[in-house]
Amino acid sequence: MHLKESRQACLYMLHNVVYDTKFSPCGKYLAAANKFGDIALFSLTAALSPDASDESKCPIFSFHVYDQGGIYSLCSTDIFLICAGEGDIQAYKWSDIIAKNPKVAWSLSIPKKGVFSHAEINSCVIHQDSSSMVLYAGAGDHLVHSWDIENGSYLNSFSGHTDYIHSIVTKDDGKNLISASEDGTAVIWDVRLKEAAQVVKPFENEKCARPHIGKWLKCLTVDEDNYWLLLGGGPTLATWHLKTLTPTATYETPGVAQHVALFHEDKILSAGSSNHLNHWSIAGEHKMAVPVNPSSIFSIDINHNSKSNKVLTVAGSSDKIDVCSNFGYTAFSLTFVPPLS
Amino acid sequence: MSKEVKDGKKRLLKAETPVPGLTDSKKLRQEIISKNQEGWTIASEEDDALLRDPLTDLQSFQASCNFLKSAIRDIKNVKSSRPDAVGEINSIRTDATIHFIHMKKLNRLAHFRCRKVRETTNEAKHKIDQCHLQLQNLLYEAMHLEKEITKCMEFKSKDEEIELVSVEEFYQDAPATITNESVTKNDPHLQMLGRLEWELELRKNLASKLTATKKNKEQLSQEIQSKQDYLETLQPKLSAILQATRPVQDYLSMPYNAIQEEHQMAQHLPQPLYVLYMQTSAFKDACDKCLKVSITGDVDAAKSLATWNFEPDEESDSDQEDLEKQETKRHRRVSAEQSQEKKNKIFRKHPLSVNLTISNEDGTELELTFCYLLELNIITVTVKVNLSEKGTLSSITGGDLLSPDLILDELYPGDFGNDSPNPANHYELKKHGLLDLSTYIPLVGRPYLWCQLMGGLQFLKKEISLAEDADGFSNIARIPVQAKHSICAANIQKTISLLRQRISSRLSLLQQLSSLERGIIPVSVDFVKQFPAKINAHLSTWSRCTWEDLQTLAHAKRFLKSGLIRSSSIIFQAVIDRGSAKMNAHVVLTADYPQVPPLFILDIVWQTQRTALTDIFVMEMEEEVNLHYQELSSSTQQNQLLPNQLQRLLMCFDVYLETDTPASTLVPVEIPKEKIMPRTSRGPARSKPFKYLPELGIFTQRY
Repeated sequence: MHLKESRQACLYMLHNVVYDTKFSPCGKYLAAANKFGDIALFSLTAALSPDASDESKCPIFSFHVYDQGGIYSLCSTDIFLICAGEGDIQAYKWSDIIAKNPKVAWSLSIPKKGVFSHAEINSCVIHQDSSSMVLYAGAGDHLVHSWDIENGSYLNSFSGHTDYIHSIVTKDDGKNLISASEDGTAVIWDVRLKEAAQVVKPFENEKCARPHIGKWLKCLTVDEDNYWLLLGGGPTLATWHLKTLTPTATYETPGVAQHVALFHEDKILSAGSSNHLNHWSIAGEHKMAVPVNPSSIFSIDINHNSKSNKVLTVAGSSDKIDVCSNFGYTAFSLTFVPPLS
Repeated sequence: MSKEVKDGKKRLLKAETPVPGLTDSKKLRQEIISKNQEGWTIASEEDDALLRDPLTDLQSFQASCNFLKSAIRDIKNVKSSRPDAVGEINSIRTDATIHFIHMKKLNRLAHFRCRKVRETTNEAKHKIDQCHLQLQNLLYEAMHLEKEITKCMEFKSKDEEIELVSVEEFYQDAPATITNESVTKNDPHLQMLGRLEWELELRKNLASKLTATKKNKEQLSQEIQSKQDYLETLQPKLSAILQATRPVQDYLSMPYNAIQEEHQMAQHLPQPLYVLYMQTSAFKDACDKCLKVSITGDVDAAKSLATWNFEPDEESDSDQEDLEKQETKRHRRVSAEQSQEKKNKIFRKHPLSVNLTISNEDGTELELTFCYLLELNIITVTVKVNLSEKGTLSSITGGDLLSPDLILDELYPGDFGNDSPNPANHYELKKHGLLDLSTYIPLVGRPYLWCQLMGGLQFLKKEISLAEDADGFSNIARIPVQAKHSICAANIQKTISLLRQRISSRLSLLQQLSSLERGIIPVSVDFVKQFPAKINAHLSTWSRCTWEDLQTLAHAKRFLKSGLIRSSSIIFQAVIDRGSAKMNAHVVLTADYPQVPPLFILDIVWQTQRTALTDIFVMEMEEEVNLHYQELSSSTQQNQLLPNQLQRLLMCFDVYLETDTPASTLVPVEIPKEKIMPRTSRGPARSKPFKYLPELGIFTQRY
């Protein structure tokens, strides 16, 4: 019996895909969500300590969120960790998770269109300002939904995409929202008018188009000054000038789709469907390719919440989550072990 | 002058006054004369000496001396002054002479006295000696007496050694005539005497009781003997009756005798095999009539073995010593023979063995022969598979699946029957310079762990490392393991059902393999509905593959590293085609398939080479068959797992190809999208709709 279970655990780890990771507000913990609907909590302080053992690189706690499918996106506030994916949006208190006693604090579900629609949520972000706190969710029903978290009321949806939405970000202090979709377009929404302000179509741009990979857009990032827009996926990853909406630099990864990217200091880090983390200069020069464990990468994240634990994590289709303290190489890997049934 | 002399004489006389007769020379003279006249004897003089005071004698002696001195001086004076005065001189002379005689007498007296004193001294001395002697005698006597006293004190009576009844019991139980309480209470001596008397009484009683009981016993044993004699006379009669009924038994096909004979044979089985035989036949009678249990071998050899006491260690040690001594002299051939002999001795089997035959519904039989290795204290098994006549199977890729060597691999996880389960054996073999048991398996059979459990032998687990002592022999090696029925009973049902399961699963697997070799995936009727009616991909080749082949594959590395694939795994390679697209699937089966589901490792050649390392969809397909296999087997039809997995793989390959992004819009699409898929991609990984919903006939993502 024990053998069967360990074999099952082995298979679980062999087919594991981590879709998203988030650092806790205190910066001491890392939460990772996978395709089996589980969340694992790692202690960065333990893993980074000089006398770290193999055990401290395994989750200190893990729990099951969705019975039917994966968790595709995590977002975090000072209090809550919010999970979205193949099911309702569920929020857990960080303090409960760290105390190893997670309880659903609240949950939201997107309005159903029909009996057979099971729209997934691929991306969720929270916009918080002095007056309100709004949760946006890019969903499988081609819509971006929004809720007011303060009272849990459904605000509205943004329609216009013709296929499901991969990623969303907010910009200009929440005045605008950008969504990237499977249909190949990125739409910049005016939040107050609730309509599409501009549409970007990289698959039509000759610099970026790669029809053999597809036109879908997954990689979507805006820099701090709201000056540059990074778009990638089927088309080549490129920085788009937000004012003119023209690509200024492309980041060539032949045959490899980029899933995630982020601005870090004067560099761009990106990763996708290969087991490499790419370092680029903003001008498009390929600085470095760091080999990592996951063969396909879905999450890269830098811990800004704690100076002592400032690390880069790279997660994807592997049971290993690579941790880089110096961003140039993998220092060690965390192991996503299935939660005890 | 004369006056002076007279004065002198007077003084002398005066001085002599205490001494009668010496007052003047005349008197002295008279005294002497008178004495002579009175006839004084020497004897009387002796007495005189005693009577007189010696001190006065001393004074009179001194006085006489002085007188003599003055007399001489007077004579001289006279002679010098008046030479003629002869008369005067004469008178002085006479006085002097008298005094001289007196001196003489005193001298004598002194002598007497001296002698007398000496005598008395001697006498006193003698007396003292006598007293001393007496004292010595008395002291000796006293010492002797003291010794006697201590001896008496130390005397130990025999009664102290006798265990007596306690004082309380004595007063309670003994009659008053013996206790005599009033007297004995105060006198411990009398009390002791009383207690001794009571003890004697008691013991006498007991002795008489003992003799009576002995007598009774003798009588009873005599009775028993006589009854036994009577019973023994019955034996030949009964066997005669049995002999007579034999034809009837045969006629009625009731093999009571055969069973009895076998049971008698079982008496000579070694303990572990006996346990095995007993428990399996009990199981057979109770639950499973399809089992056949029998004993084979030489009963007489077993009988003689039982009487021959076997002492392995000492003998073999001396053997080895002898060997060392003689090795230089003898030929190498001889020593080789000896080692062969030694090997034979170590691997000596008990002459009896137990045969267990498990038959399947279709008549295939699994014949297990259990042997017991006397020296190593383990049970080994040799296997034979008797295929039924109708089920003749020809499978090239699975030819070895029914081979006796492999068919029982991992009946229990990890049990390949290669190493001896008895940790003591390792040392025993090492001691005799032999290799590990695995080298001798063709000779002795396989010592599977479950065989030991069936025989009631339980050894310590290998995982617990044994602390070897200096010479490499663990103490544990010396503890003999005893066969226990309880161990056997706890395992037998499971083991037999596993054996039965194994043979049926192997047979069905063989059937499936032979069908796969022909390119047909034998999906059973119950599962056909789970798959779409039309699947375009097809299985083109099915072949065997080795572990070494697998190791060369980069995309198999993560599976190899996980430990799910071992060198003992049975590995096949399936090639699945659709048009110009080709998928290679390495299928890894463990020995206990279908308990452990097969593992699939995929790679696709379609425009480019794609594996799970480069294409996440390949990983998703692997997940479909490796992780979500539960839907593909039911508890009653576990054996259908492999064909169902393959069928699903074909279906997934179709989906994969149909949803693959075209290389270019200019080239006509080779594989058109035929299947109904509400969404071709979903989620961050753009997952493909690999899941088929039979009730709707559509493909969706697994969520």
